[in-house]
Amino acid sequence: MIAGGIPLGDVLLASGALFVIGLVGALLRRNAITIFLSIELMMNGANLAVLGYAAALNSVEGQVVVFFVIAIAAAEAAVGLAIFVALFRHTETIDVNRINLLKW
Amino acid sequence: MTATRLVFDAAAALAILFACVMVVHRNPVKSVLALVVSFFALAVAYVLLAAPLIAAIQVIVYAGAILVLFLFVLMLLNVPEEGRQGSSRPIHQVLSGAAILVFGAALLALLRSHGATRAEPAAFSAAGPSDVATTSRLLFSEHLLSFEALSVLLLAALVGAFALARREDQA
Amino acid sequence: MTVALWVVPALPLAGFLLCILLGRRLGKGFVSAIGVGSVGLATVAAWTRLVPYLAGSGAPEVERIAPWIDAGNFSVDISLRLDPLSGLMISFVTFVGFLIHVYSIGYMKHDETDAGYARYFAYMNLFMFSMLTLVLANNFVLLFVGWEGVGLCSYLLIGYYFEKDFAAAAGKKAFVVNRIGDFGFLLGMFGLFSLFGTLDFDGVFSAAASDPARFGPGLTVVCLLLFVGATGKSAQVPLHVWLPDAMAGPTPVSALIHAATMVTAGVYMVTRCNVLFRLAPEAMLVVAVVGGVTAIFAAVIAIAQTDIKRVLAYSTVSQLGYMFLACGVGAYVAGMFHVLTHAAFKACLFLGSGAVIHALGGEQDVRRMGGLARRLPVTYRTFLVAALALAGIPPLAGFFSKDAILTGVFAAHRPILFALGLFTAGLTAFYMFRLVSLTFAGEFRGTPGEAHHVHEAPPAMTLPLVVLAFLSAIGGFLGLPEVFGERANRIGAFLAPVLPPLVIPGREAADHHLPASTEWLLMGVSVAVAVAGLLLAWKWYAKERGRPAERFKARFPGLHALVADKFRIDELYDRLFVRPFAWLARVLWKVVDVLLIDGVLNAGAFVVELTGDALRFLQTGNVRNYALTFLLGVVALVLFVLGGM
Repeated sequence: MIAGGIPLGDVLLASGALFVIGLVGALLRRNAITIFLSIELMMNGANLAVLGYAAALNSVEGQVVVFFVIAIAAAEAAVGLAIFVALFRHTETIDVNRINLLKW
Repeated sequence: MTATRLVFDAAAALAILFACVMVVHRNPVKSVLALVVSFFALAVAYVLLAAPLIAAIQVIVYAGAILVLFLFVLMLLNVPEEGRQGSSRPIHQVLSGAAILVFGAALLALLRSHGATRAEPAAFSAAGPSDVATTSRLLFSEHLLSFEALSVLLLAALVGAFALARREDQA
Repeated sequence: MTVALWVVPALPLAGFLLCILLGRRLGKGFVSAIGVGSVGLATVAAWTRLVPYLAGSGAPEVERIAPWIDAGNFSVDISLRLDPLSGLMISFVTFVGFLIHVYSIGYMKHDETDAGYARYFAYMNLFMFSMLTLVLANNFVLLFVGWEGVGLCSYLLIGYYFEKDFAAAAGKKAFVVNRIGDFGFLLGMFGLFSLFGTLDFDGVFSAAASDPARFGPGLTVVCLLLFVGATGKSAQVPLHVWLPDAMAGPTPVSALIHAATMVTAGVYMVTRCNVLFRLAPEAMLVVAVVGGVTAIFAAVIAIAQTDIKRVLAYSTVSQLGYMFLACGVGAYVAGMFHVLTHAAFKACLFLGSGAVIHALGGEQDVRRMGGLARRLPVTYRTFLVAALALAGIPPLAGFFSKDAILTGVFAAHRPILFALGLFTAGLTAFYMFRLVSLTFAGEFRGTPGEAHHVHEAPPAMTLPLVVLAFLSAIGGFLGLPEVFGERANRIGAFLAPVLPPLVIPGREAADHHLPASTEWLLMGVSVAVAVAGLLLAWKWYAKERGRPAERFKARFPGLHALVADKFRIDELYDRLFVRPFAWLARVLWKVVDVLLIDGVLNAGAFVVELTGDALRFLQTGNVRNYALTFLLGVVALVLFVLGGM
């Protein structure tokens, strides 16, 4: 499937790669902020895939979707970081391994 | 192999490269900066995919606001570099690695079966129906309700972030 | 103006409701007026309806009040029936009931609180309602409703003094033993329905009469089952054990329920079903034998009892045996006649004993009585008349009814039963005059305190005594034997429509007609036996102050103990039935309920707890573990989708 000369497969491959890299970071890092960053990366991977399909199917709706996703990511980042700040004040650490107050 | 494709591949490669840097680097500030570069590369890719509005928003909002926010918090909390040893428990690493591999393979298989498919769309140009004017018109007509709801959401996030991060001994 | 039939039981029902709901607040005067007035009005209503009926042909008058059950091919209405039999029953049930209610005012007034007084009259009224429903019912189901109702009221009233353990236990015993009989009755009803497809009296009896050969052995079984119910309700052997203990209730209750009305329900039912019984001769034989055995058995026990009410209780059991003996040999008229006369004189005797107990401030042991004839003249004289009637001394009522029974047994060619009945008549006279002598003759054997306290009963109590004694005296003339003339047996003529002629398969119509000379002979013999018993008792207990009895007791101590202890039947039942059931109940409780059922439930809870304990280790608190779990789930999903494609 060609979109302005770019094969859809390429786009999806790139998107998949970004997603998997983000996954690696989310699972294997200890720093909470870094984990959050990896999650943002995963979201971007998804955005890329959506835009690829939007271009391939000649639809503008896809862009609207990505628009909303970015806005929501912004809100989420704000609230998430606020939580980190509050958490850090209490626990003095950002190492997820050590934040385990909900342990049985 | 058209020019567009070439540029796209380059931009994508760049994005992926700096994503890897972000994931690997120990210093969180350097991670954020690597991600910023990655996002810029992605913006280029978006332009090539005939989504100029989104590209602009990606730069302004994502790279320019969200990641800057991350930086602010990093500075505020004075987060140290991540130590080397005991990054995670071995069982966790093994399982995660295995899961990721399987996931990656599955994704590839999915791509293979789905990526090259049926209908041939009409080729379109960057100044075609998917320019800023069209997108905006769509946003303000069909998706107006969602748009307004989004603004309310941002307001709520604002208030929420403020409430959460506030020092408790203040009134 | 014809009074509707339903008014008769409805009046006591209204009395019950008013007394139970308002009685406590409105005081004894209100309760007396309502409780007694309702029964009085019911008596008036019943007699108003009866008097024109008496002059009629005796055809049944059915009043259908409302439809009740209609399920598939089973349909039963609430309908009442007035025919000679039910008319006879309501005539004395209402009137004797009224007299006893009047008596109760005097008897219950002093000792009871307002609440207790209201409760008493409420239950008495409820009893009247149930009994009248039983008697007026036009089908077996409504009859059974009344049947159960009187059982319930019996329990409530026996256990009236429920704070006393013995009274509460006696109430329970009465109810449980009755229930055993009721179970038989219920099975009998099921049998009736399966045989005849209906439980309506007219339906069942006409179907049976029109085609007797068809129903054969099934009918015998059904009749026996129905008789089991009668055995329970009318205290025949072996279900007689509740009646003596029932004396724990107030004396008017004993008079009404356990002498005049409830216990006769069994006899009424057997007479009502005479068509069925006559078509099942084996069942009738069983009825006669049970009646005869009960009569003599209870009379023997009565001789050795020392509680005034217990003597009368066993006497009731014995007389009920006579009634069933009569029904069992086909002398249904004689049986019902005895029901009528027995109601009069037994009620009089019980109320009289109540007056004696009341005079002595609660003493019931005859060994501590004596010499009361002078102090309690009205009580003594009415008691004497009633005792003479019970003993069968002419021309009092009891003589004619008992003689009718014995004549009937003789005419049915049952020599052994006749001998039993005759001997029991002698025993009856003996124990009655033992009682009269010990209570009223000789010197007073009680405490000086009691001697001071002795006084004749108030008019509310003595007036019913006089009325009942009078009825005991003249009642016999309703049923004079045939020797006195063609139309002498008025009650026989009256009840004739209820006893239709039947063709019994396999038997020719038996000739039960006796020549006049035989009848006179029988009458003479029964009088002689009764007088002999009377004189013997008088000699032993009045003249010689009971010394011959003491000598007898000394010579046969074991025998005397056995008889005085009512042949230890209660102990036998305790060992045979009560203890095993108690054991079973305990096992069901400790093992089945606690161990099994509770155990299963607790085990379930335990398993849940165990699972929870195991699962909580999933909550590590570590976010990365959770993320990994997410991923594993997603991988599984993806593989699943991929596999599907």
